[in-house]
Amino acid sequence: MKQEKLHCRLVSLVIGLGMALFATLCFAEEAPAPPAGSEPAKVEAPAPPAATPPAAATPEPKPDPGGIVTGDRSNVFNAAGDPFVISEPTDKSDPDYAKKRKEFEEFQAQAAKEPLTLRLADAVGRVRIATNFTWTLATGYLVLFMQAGFALLTCGLVRKKNAAHLMMLNFAAYVFAFLAYYVCGYAFQFGAVAVNAAPGNLGGTPTLNQFLLGSGGWGFLGGRGFFLSGPAYDVGSNALTLFEVVFMETAGYIIVGAICERITFWGFILCELFIGALVYPIFGCWVWGGGWLSQLGATMNFAHGYVDFAGSTVVHAVGGFTAMALAVILGPRIGKYGADGKPRPFPAHNIAFVVIGTFILLFGWMGFNPGSTLGSSDLRISVIAVNTNLAAVAASATAMIFWYFMFGKPDISMACNGMLAGLVAITAPCAFVSPNSAVIIGILAGIVVCLGVLFNERIIKVDDPCGAIAVHGYAGWLGAVSVGIFADGTFGAGWNGVGATTYLGKAGLGVTGLLYGDTSQFWMQLGGATLCAIYAFGFTYLVFSLVNVVRPLRVDKEVELEGLDIPEFGMLAYPEDALSGVPR
Amino acid sequence: MKMVEAIVKPFKLDEIKDALTKVGIQGMTVGEVRGFGRQKGHTELYRGAEYSVDFLPKVKIQILVPDEKAAQVVEAIVQGARTGKIGDGKIFVAPVEEVIRIRTGERGADAI
Repeated sequence: MKQEKLHCRLVSLVIGLGMALFATLCFAEEAPAPPAGSEPAKVEAPAPPAATPPAAATPEPKPDPGGIVTGDRSNVFNAAGDPFVISEPTDKSDPDYAKKRKEFEEFQAQAAKEPLTLRLADAVGRVRIATNFTWTLATGYLVLFMQAGFALLTCGLVRKKNAAHLMMLNFAAYVFAFLAYYVCGYAFQFGAVAVNAAPGNLGGTPTLNQFLLGSGGWGFLGGRGFFLSGPAYDVGSNALTLFEVVFMETAGYIIVGAICERITFWGFILCELFIGALVYPIFGCWVWGGGWLSQLGATMNFAHGYVDFAGSTVVHAVGGFTAMALAVILGPRIGKYGADGKPRPFPAHNIAFVVIGTFILLFGWMGFNPGSTLGSSDLRISVIAVNTNLAAVAASATAMIFWYFMFGKPDISMACNGMLAGLVAITAPCAFVSPNSAVIIGILAGIVVCLGVLFNERIIKVDDPCGAIAVHGYAGWLGAVSVGIFADGTFGAGWNGVGATTYLGKAGLGVTGLLYGDTSQFWMQLGGATLCAIYAFGFTYLVFSLVNVVRPLRVDKEVELEGLDIPEFGMLAYPEDALSGVPR
Repeated sequence: MKMVEAIVKPFKLDEIKDALTKVGIQGMTVGEVRGFGRQKGHTELYRGAEYSVDFLPKVKIQILVPDEKAAQVVEAIVQGARTGKIGDGKIFVAPVEEVIRIRTGERGADAI
């Protein structure tokens, strides 16, 4: 009884703190913003008169919660990415200044002659943004569905006596991590995205423009949009929010696979709040929120800065190494290692769940990777989709063959782990590599996951029931590094603000890897991915070792032996009808 | 009356049932059971770690028969269940003291 009171107190403390934060932050954020619709949407003439005050006096951008301003002529581009609106050049020291000035003046003269064209361009820009919203939201829904895949996969991989526990963890992961991301995770990650990494495909979210820690190219933490209010109460920002929250959820449920069958429910809730509020958003800010790691190209001349297209590290390695730290703290399940120190298996109780879950994850990944363009106006989406599938099948084939040779039979659960490792590894490079490279990355991922599972189980003896550490941690690290090896320069010109016009002396060259002549990108990737692993493991280990001292995260021995379903949740996943004790 | 109990390979159940229907039995009870005999279990690999399956899945059949039919029923089971390989199972025959049909209260041979 006393123990129960303790967890109740802990959980209510966390909720109470959240509420207090809400009261202070949320309303402070709600700057008096007149509804965007109350003023005329745009001025008809494109350019401000020459007497306009300098940029310093630009008014603070206003959010557009009604969706009636976002998307105009400034969002119109041709296939090469050249804008329809030619803006006034300001940098007089630019050698091309005179040429740009002339282009600008010609545009002005033409615009004055053809006002109808400008109105048409406004409509075209609106349609482009709307198309991209549709793409981003729809692919976000696909990523959301991965939650179901993960629940089936992990539930199928554990013992029958813990099946309800697994389902509840997956379910609660979504719920609690989402709330944490709403409170501060999104603001930490994307609160300054407009400074260096404005998502132009969604209209640029200009209101998310302030770092909480750092500034310019050295941002460490975003600072706008707490409680998704004020600057984040905007249609463009919310399209981004929906897409990004389901990404965070992916990191959130990765940990389930490594800590299940022995973690208490209250301990798990703390883990999820920690992921949604801190460990995920911080690294996410560094790479996707315009933070320092992504800007090392612009600030320190390190290639394109750290590049992770859809999250091999930002999502998967963060989840995988957080999971590893937690698994180390929890220790192996009772009976996992015999008296001789040899690992003993706890076979999957429902392999059909495992395979169906894996296929749902593959399907969801068609949102995860192609959706990360944040817009279907980026036609690279088809290449990304094909690359993603190729790596998945190559990795799965590798894992099957590896096991066939090593142990005489292909292991079904390892075939599934192999496919997931391929997906994880192609997530960072999917946009930058050719189909052949995708196959090679898949093969490498298949080998890494097989060796990783054996290494965890036999050498370092970290008990990982579902292989989450090898699949998401090790293969995630591999994915980010392989950007630095296999990127072929066909995509990503101007990525992270580097090489918009020429890169390595070539016009239009994108992110380029070791094999295509950019060694610095390789070192950048190697360093960034390794930093991610150390950061996620170290931060989590520090925080949860302390929590574990205050109160053990692990269930009692008797509970673990009985199975967590009844002691933790009061019900079995598969009650025997006649003998369950429930009145019939 | 005799109780004939047979522990057999699960995939032979259909053949046994057909053989028993041919000799005209009135009913049977079957259940899935596990166990081992002289063969013991065997080892399997899961994710590269070895584990032993000590209790192999079998099917247990129970048939209640009049004394004179017992030999015929045993023969039918042997016919249906035999593969000639290790693990074909065993048959036990034991006397039964009393039988009661719950619906009518009939006893003895009438209740079979």
